[in-house]
Amino acid sequence: MNTPPTIDGLTPSALVTPLSAAELADTLAQAAADGLKVAPIGGGTALALGNPPERVDLALSTLALNGVLDYEPSDLVLSVAAGARFADVQALLAGHGQTLPLDPPGDAAATIGGLIATALAGPRRLGSGTLRDLLIGIAVAHPAGIVTKSGGMVVKNVTGFDLPRLYHGSLGTLGVIVSANLKVLPRARAEATLIARVVALDDALAAADRVRASRLRPVALEAALVDGAWFAAVRLEGRPATVATLAAEAAGLLESDTETLHGTDSAAWWRRYVAHQAVHAAPDEALLRFAVRPRATADLVRAVLRAVDGSGAIPRAVMASVGVGTVIVRAALDPEGAAATLSSLTATISPIADHVTVIAAPPAWKRGLDVWGGAPQTLDVMRALKSHFDPERVLNPGRFAGRI
Amino acid sequence: MSRAHDHLIERLERILGPGGVFHRPADLLVYEYDGSVEGAVDTAAPVAVALPTTTEQVAAIVRLANEFDLPVTPRGAGTGLSGGAVAQRGGIVVALTRMDRILEIDPEDRTALVEPGVINLELSEATIPGGHFFAPDPSSQKACTVGGNVAENSGGPHCLKYGVTTNHVLGLEVVLPDGRVVWTGGRAGHAPGYDLTGALVGSEGMLGIVTKALVRLTPNPEATLVELAAFPDVESASLAVSRIIAAGIVPAALELMDNLTIQAVEPAYHAGYPMDAGAVLLAELDGIAEDVRAEGEDVAVLCRETGATSVRVASEKPERDLLWKGRKMALAAMGRLTPNYYLHDTVVPRTKLPAALRRVAEVATEYDLPIANVLHAGDGNLHPLILFDRRQPGAVERVLHASHELLHSCVELGGALSGEHGIGTEKRAALTLVFSADDLAAMAGIKNSFDPKSCFNPEKLFPAGYRCGEVRALRAQALAQKLGIYAM
Repeated sequence: MNTPPTIDGLTPSALVTPLSAAELADTLAQAAADGLKVAPIGGGTALALGNPPERVDLALSTLALNGVLDYEPSDLVLSVAAGARFADVQALLAGHGQTLPLDPPGDAAATIGGLIATALAGPRRLGSGTLRDLLIGIAVAHPAGIVTKSGGMVVKNVTGFDLPRLYHGSLGTLGVIVSANLKVLPRARAEATLIARVVALDDALAAADRVRASRLRPVALEAALVDGAWFAAVRLEGRPATVATLAAEAAGLLESDTETLHGTDSAAWWRRYVAHQAVHAAPDEALLRFAVRPRATADLVRAVLRAVDGSGAIPRAVMASVGVGTVIVRAALDPEGAAATLSSLTATISPIADHVTVIAAPPAWKRGLDVWGGAPQTLDVMRALKSHFDPERVLNPGRFAGRI
Repeated sequence: MSRAHDHLIERLERILGPGGVFHRPADLLVYEYDGSVEGAVDTAAPVAVALPTTTEQVAAIVRLANEFDLPVTPRGAGTGLSGGAVAQRGGIVVALTRMDRILEIDPEDRTALVEPGVINLELSEATIPGGHFFAPDPSSQKACTVGGNVAENSGGPHCLKYGVTTNHVLGLEVVLPDGRVVWTGGRAGHAPGYDLTGALVGSEGMLGIVTKALVRLTPNPEATLVELAAFPDVESASLAVSRIIAAGIVPAALELMDNLTIQAVEPAYHAGYPMDAGAVLLAELDGIAEDVRAEGEDVAVLCRETGATSVRVASEKPERDLLWKGRKMALAAMGRLTPNYYLHDTVVPRTKLPAALRRVAEVATEYDLPIANVLHAGDGNLHPLILFDRRQPGAVERVLHASHELLHSCVELGGALSGEHGIGTEKRAALTLVFSADDLAAMAGIKNSFDPKSCFNPEKLFPAGYRCGEVRALRAQALAQKLGIYAM
């Protein structure tokens, strides 16, 4: 594939795919020297994320950096090149009874580097955390033409500043991730999912709350509207006998018409569910993410529903992670005046939500707003970091928070 | 004392009141040290120690330090072991021990908002009755502060399952080097921008002074089981560790102690460790009761298969605490064997643990120093305790050389310089063993972005005299170290 992908309506004039980390760093240095703007690309599953770039001349693919660099199953650590596909890494780990306990959107094609850069996480973050918690080392190519590393291949390490955390979620604006070292975990021996079909949002929230207050430790717990129906969903993992016992307890707590899925059926159900969070938007829809403290999730999701209804938008999916405080909404907007509707929708919810992010929307709708919902208080420190690592603003200019 | 000095003290007292400033030499003495053995890290006297009780006071102290062009060194309980809290270049030490309030415990959000001087263990003691605990549990948890844990990204036995401090910090109120007060992170996820919370945790007080920490609380496990397995030697105990991990079990903690440690601990605390065992393995399992029971059986079987001569199982708290007591008091018990000890901290990949332990034994022989081993075996985190008597001439030098030799060996095995104690001044000369000049330049970029005048905790972490431009000198130094030409 040599055709550059389009990013928010902008098409780079070339796509380059360096064959090594050093070559990638050289490419960045050359771009900096030539005054070109670069958009790093992994699997291309989250290109809609961020503000429209100010300019993009070069798409820089990490897909040729796709090998497993080091994997010692008994150490429970893995070093992998950034362009490795998440799904391929999971398949490798599964062969050794291990896993990365994550369910990010776009999991079939997403790369490890892309998932670190975007910090996208699925419902499992309730029980397993995110890539931030698994990242133990990282190597990054910078526009100075150098590759720097930090962290290491051990699970506990305080040697130097903790740069892996800084790069997580930095959207390729400080450098291009070329490889990552990750903690891996044993795969659960069994899993089950309970889906309680309910009449309305409040029933789903109440059911989820009962589960959260119980002895169960679900890895995911959602109250959601998908395909026109409300439900609560609970994902359990553990030893087979324990999962069977806990699933029966969960069914009792959910107090409604409950379907129980086991093993691969359970995993497949979650893949379909997370697909609704994929980072793209049809020409008539927007994907939004709202975040509050966990205890305010119910109030948030009610407010979001009211605001969506009030704006005339039609919710295609509403997915609340109870216990996390995240609500993701996919809504169809009347294309007539959609940009204004989107702005007023985010403005209506802003007083209730700590953070409002427009994850994906047609480029024309995004131009009038900051998809990150405003600049952080520490923007000056962030700008200083940016200007240390990328003084010429070669990488993704304007796309990240504060239009860094 | 000079007029400038008197003026500084007067201004500090105006901010903090007369009881909030120490400046007489006798009062400063204790602040010249941290928790490390004398000689392992440099000591240095600050001009004054400021003891603020509010964020505003911390900010005012920092602005004052800027005005006087003085460095600022934040300090918690002073239990650190790498020189982090020592005011290497003098200036003002900001001791945060009087900011010790737990401001809020929120069982529903599973968070606590605390001031930096709250003692680690006191936080868990306050939250356990409501159903939660604070997972990071460094061995100094009875004395160390949450602010210090944040600065050092502290670990502890239970980070095998629960992760280290950075996995439990959601947000920070921070006084920046220019005196501004800002918040990073917060109660809700997905804050826009770079993860400055992540950059601040483990930054050894070099980027900001934490004045409030919003930390994650973890639900108390439904069931907990502790097993103590006695092995004929360290090798078989290490093998058991590998087999447990390979079986897909992630214990809450997996601690190993060798015979020398048992000799110190058992007569002092009667934890029930067999005196003739070559090593004991302490495994804690927690979680849903059914899983804990099943995993407990598996662990016992695996230990017996790898040569354990006995396995004791404790499910009730008093008995569990007794088994843990030997581990938690191991350092204190060393006094029975030796007047002084040097506590080392390195980490290797789990599978390299037997090789690292063999190397420890070789170094002990080479340098004629007894070395006891207490380790977080599940994490590959070694804590060799080098026993010595500082009254013997040259003893400290010999210990430091042995310690550097261990550091080199662990790096050669693919490990890191420090698993949980930090770099500080103790290991900064060794940083070039694991990082290139470019890697260090990236870290220096973080420092410069937060603290362009380098007034927060100067002369820590980076090799002495480090400047971004001195690339060639650093490379030469790295080469010299690899060749074994190691100058202290």
